Amino acid sequence: NRRMCHTTAPGIACACGVSQHPAVYPSHTRKGVACPQGVAQPPAVSCAAGPSGSLPAGGSLNYLGPPFNEPDFNPPRLAWAERVPSATVDFDLWRGLTDNARLAANYRAYSRLLCYLRGLDGQAGTAELRHSLGHFCSSLQGLVVSIAGVMSSLGYPLPAGTAAAGPPAPAGAPASPNDFLKKMDDFWLLKELQTWLWRSAKDFNRLKKKVPPAVVTLRLEAQGF
Amino acid sequence: MWKNSSLCCVLALAILCLTSLICSQEIGSPGEPQNLKCIMHNLHKMICTWDVSSKGRYGQTDFCYTTREKRVEIPVSESSITVSITTNSIYGAAFGTKKFAIHKKDISFVPLTPHILSLTPDFSTSTLNLKWSDNGSVFPYGLDAFWQIEILRKETMEKVTQVTYHSKLTHENTILSWNWTSDMPLECTSHYAKIRCYINVTDFVGHKDWSDWSPVEKVLGKDTEPNGSGVFPQDTVVAVGSDVTICCVHAEDQQIKRMTYGPEIYPLIHLSSRSSAIRVINASASDTSGTNVVCTLSQDEMDGTVLFVGYAPDTPQNLSCETSNFLIIKCTWKPGRPSGLYGKRRTKYSLLERISGKNVSCEVNEMNRERVCGFPVLADQKTYSFTLGVSNPIGQTESSLLVDLTQRVHPKTPEKLTVSGNSSTNVHLHWYINGSFTEIRLLCQIEISSGHSEQKLHNVSMPGGKFSTYTAQLNALHPYTKYQFRVRCSAADHFWRWSDWSRVEEHTTLEAPPARGPDVWRERSPSGRSLKIFWKPLTLSEANGKIVSHEVSCYLLDTLLEYKEVTEPSNSTEIKLGKNDCVISIVAKNHAGSSPPSKITSVELPSDNVKTERAVALGNGIYISWSSYPNVTCGYIVKWCHSSGSEPCSVDWQKFPSNTTDAVMKSALFRPGVRYNFSLYGCKSSGYQLLKNITGYMKELPPKRAPNFTVEETSSDSILVKWEDIPVEDCQGFLEGYRLSFAKGEKDALKPRLSESGNPELKVKNITDLTKKSLRILDLQGKTSYQLDLQAYTAGGVSPPNSLYVVTKEDCKIKDTFYPEIPNPENSKALQFQKNICEGNKTLKTLEMNPCTPNSVEVVETQSAAPKIEDTEMMSPAADTTVPEDGSDSENENHVVVSYCPPIIEEEISNPSMDEPVGSSQVVYIDIQSMYQPQIKAEEEPEIDLVTTAGYKPQMQLPISALKIESRSATEEESDKTAGYRPQANTNAWNMDTPDSPGSVESSNENASFGSPCSINSRQFLIPPKDDEDSPKPTNTGWSFTHFFQNKPND
Repeated sequence: NRRMCHTTAPGIACACGVSQHPAVYPSHTRKGVACPQGVAQPPAVSCAAGPSGSLPAGGSLNYLGPPFNEPDFNPPRLAWAERVPSATVDFDLWRGLTDNARLAANYRAYSRLLCYLRGLDGQAGTAELRHSLGHFCSSLQGLVVSIAGVMSSLGYPLPAGTAAAGPPAPAGAPASPNDFLKKMDDFWLLKELQTWLWRSAKDFNRLKKKVPPAVVTLRLEAQGF
Repeated sequence: MWKNSSLCCVLALAILCLTSLICSQEIGSPGEPQNLKCIMHNLHKMICTWDVSSKGRYGQTDFCYTTREKRVEIPVSESSITVSITTNSIYGAAFGTKKFAIHKKDISFVPLTPHILSLTPDFSTSTLNLKWSDNGSVFPYGLDAFWQIEILRKETMEKVTQVTYHSKLTHENTILSWNWTSDMPLECTSHYAKIRCYINVTDFVGHKDWSDWSPVEKVLGKDTEPNGSGVFPQDTVVAVGSDVTICCVHAEDQQIKRMTYGPEIYPLIHLSSRSSAIRVINASASDTSGTNVVCTLSQDEMDGTVLFVGYAPDTPQNLSCETSNFLIIKCTWKPGRPSGLYGKRRTKYSLLERISGKNVSCEVNEMNRERVCGFPVLADQKTYSFTLGVSNPIGQTESSLLVDLTQRVHPKTPEKLTVSGNSSTNVHLHWYINGSFTEIRLLCQIEISSGHSEQKLHNVSMPGGKFSTYTAQLNALHPYTKYQFRVRCSAADHFWRWSDWSRVEEHTTLEAPPARGPDVWRERSPSGRSLKIFWKPLTLSEANGKIVSHEVSCYLLDTLLEYKEVTEPSNSTEIKLGKNDCVISIVAKNHAGSSPPSKITSVELPSDNVKTERAVALGNGIYISWSSYPNVTCGYIVKWCHSSGSEPCSVDWQKFPSNTTDAVMKSALFRPGVRYNFSLYGCKSSGYQLLKNITGYMKELPPKRAPNFTVEETSSDSILVKWEDIPVEDCQGFLEGYRLSFAKGEKDALKPRLSESGNPELKVKNITDLTKKSLRILDLQGKTSYQLDLQAYTAGGVSPPNSLYVVTKEDCKIKDTFYPEIPNPENSKALQFQKNICEGNKTLKTLEMNPCTPNSVEVVETQSAAPKIEDTEMMSPAADTTVPEDGSDSENENHVVVSYCPPIIEEEISNPSMDEPVGSSQVVYIDIQSMYQPQIKAEEEPEIDLVTTAGYKPQMQLPISALKIESRSATEEESDKTAGYRPQANTNAWNMDTPDSPGSVESSNENASFGSPCSINSRQFLIPPKDDEDSPKPTNTGWSFTHFFQNKPND
């Protein structure tokens, strides 16, 4: 990779605008937004099983500006971005995993994504955005806790080295050398987050069919939602 | 400088040297030197060079100095000198010698080539720094030096700029420095610099020239580095409107596909094989996250940078500083135009206090439109000189303010407001203000609100305390009142701003005894044996609490005759006094005590000749007046009664001082059109006396209805009408007269009201003598139908009319017609038509009966419009011009009088609601003849020539002129049904609704009348049955065919 590819700093100044400021991010009204709440409220889980194709964080990508918000924009995945847990595992392979393995992968991924998102707070350009980021992180935290709750209710152990209440912070995310590379990182973080949310929604729907909803529901409600 | 002593010494040496040289020179020999040129690089020596013309001969040239070069430095002489140059062979043989005369003007001055000490790039600012020495030590002080600098770019060393830099030589070697900011990032490609100089030696008479260019210094671009790449500049902030060059440096094996700035693709400017640029002109402000510049390369790689385009900070506006607690000074300002830069590039503020030298940086909330910065209050410092510094990457500005802090106090909102008090008029308020105000006095404002009175503000000044609770007492409050209090404070001596209001605290004062006794009146019962006592409830402000009862006592001198306690809400009571009199005392009581007593005597002094007068309506009241009565010493009382429906009227009264002689009585209960009766009593020392009665209206209205009236008598030229009184309730004002309008006319529901008909023969009689209850109308025409309208009027207007239709008697013998009973009417003796007054009639007469007073009655109801005031002339002014549309009232037309009918006038007046002034009843008196040409409503009457129908034809030509076509078919059907023998009349006009012919005629066709032989007393058939009377139908009521046969006389 070229020089610019070893950037590792989180830089999403925008992931949070998603659900809170539809007026600021007019293009964004999609499923990914509601998914964190969807897990907390089982009937809404299905919300993410809808159409795919457009970024759930499209509004945030708008914030990044062109060409990041263009549909066919596909920049090279840089070094730091490669550390973001990717949901681009082969579909058949993913389906072949056990519920436990998939839930654990979800849990690990969101824990890690949350870490990166939390690292963005100080870098968000405007106070509005920081406020939105905080709200989005809270939602995502809820999702992580919910997954832990579901795993617990199904008798699965939590992945080692993670805790439901607070995923570990990433070890020293170095700052990007420039703003453009930071935006590239943000882009990939958002994209992965979106892919994970879609995948999770499908997983939870599948799980809902297999597991008596009452068990999951009760358990989720017991988590305080 | 040539006069310099040391220089003179040098010149003397030179001359000496040259003199010795001259002795040794050899002139005219071969290989002699040629083209001697002398230049100076400094002012001490000149360098002379020459050529040797000998071909292939090389030797040594003798000068002063022996040199193997064709160049020699010799001291500068003061004046022209002659130089002899001898060229010797290496063996010492002289080839040639030549003499040159060197004049000062032949010597050139060319400074030494300057040398660049350094060329340093600052990539972040795209600035090059050039340093060189001016070599000034060899020149006298103060010479002007000019430095020409050239900047070159790219491998091809294209000249970018050339500038001339000026300096003064200081006779010392000085290092000069010059900065140049490139319009292109220095990383984009290599940049070069070179320099030369020109020294303006002012006294030098020879040729002065620029030095040679220095060797080129360079700063290499990233495109020269083996691994150099990137898009430049990186993360740069520029002002809106700037022109910006952005380049993309890439590897040798890559090509740039495109470069975009924001959403737009820009044309590439080639810089080198590894670098290209775009040029953005007049850049506009970026979005929040900056404007992306993306360089898309071959092999699906890309690179980019973010450009932040914004504004320099605006000068802060409305800078204002104040303290709310003497701990922190809060300065606020408006930031003005947003910079468009965020995050670490945002506008930053710092507050410098110049007197103390203390500086604080301000953390401002960008969400807030107004910026705020806190500065600590410093001990023993009253005056503060603030400078607010504002800066962002594009620029900086500042704003200043000098404040005396004691004049900028904006106290915090008072907290913990409590109200205490155990009194009906006093309370204590306590509140706390968070702050130290020991240096000032506070002015606090207490807002006092209650439902009963206007909001009041009470100011209280007090010394400021240190985080203190403050107390204020409020007096003169009203008892038993729920108050709302809130408080705010400011500095007392130098008002700056009020604090916000504290929260509202409620408090209800305690009760106090009622402030006064109730207003009392009394009335003897009609029997005189009991006394009814009335009192008015006290107002809230008088009651001072909740009134629970009234104590009523009756004293004869000091003897208590009767005592009653009347509990609320009753406001009257009755005392059995018999024939006695007493003084009544009434006391209102609440929980706190009793009011002072109100007293009134029961004595009613006898009155003689009490008159009743009329009051005048005045505005929304009723104006009454009276003359001053000498013995009235304790005022007047006007008493009246409000009646509401069936309930007994409620007594009301109003008291006036003795000197009053008039009043406008007002009450929310007064209604227009309602008569009020007032009684004026005088208060005398011995009792009350009824002085007079006054009756009046708040506003007079037109009477609700006209009087009922009847025709008493009819002759061939007169009609006597008689009317009844209108009940007072229907008058709605003082009745002023009656208006009787009459004109020829027959009943027609569609006709307008007589007074509005425009009838030219309309006559109006105005009866102002209200005692008159009848009127004879004279000079009428015989055998003519008249319409009479009677109206009553008040000052408020004219009532709706009551209408009658009357046909005057014939003044000759009249034949009447009837339908023959026999199939062939021509054979009937009854059909011996006579020539008579009716000859002119076009219609056929039927059966002649015995002559009698022709009359018949048809009663109809019509709706009439609201009346208008008529003139009182007997003849309508329009009489000459307007011709009645309905010719039926013409004398020579269709009035065929049935002679067998008694001269009885019947009327039926449907009683419209008294509340419907537009409605009236009309009583129509017609003769039988008119039945043949019934006053049918247009829509009911077919336009049909019945003569043309088959079978037996009616032996009358019906002059129906106002029939409507749409009714025709129905009528024709009707005609068909009755084909064959038919009564010789317009049967369509008859009501055939009999048991024998059910529903044969539409029920609305009730105007038709039919006469039958009958006793002269047998008029009852003319009266519609009760059922019909009660019919809700507003349409005309006539007689059914069967009435002729079924009704029996009942009188």
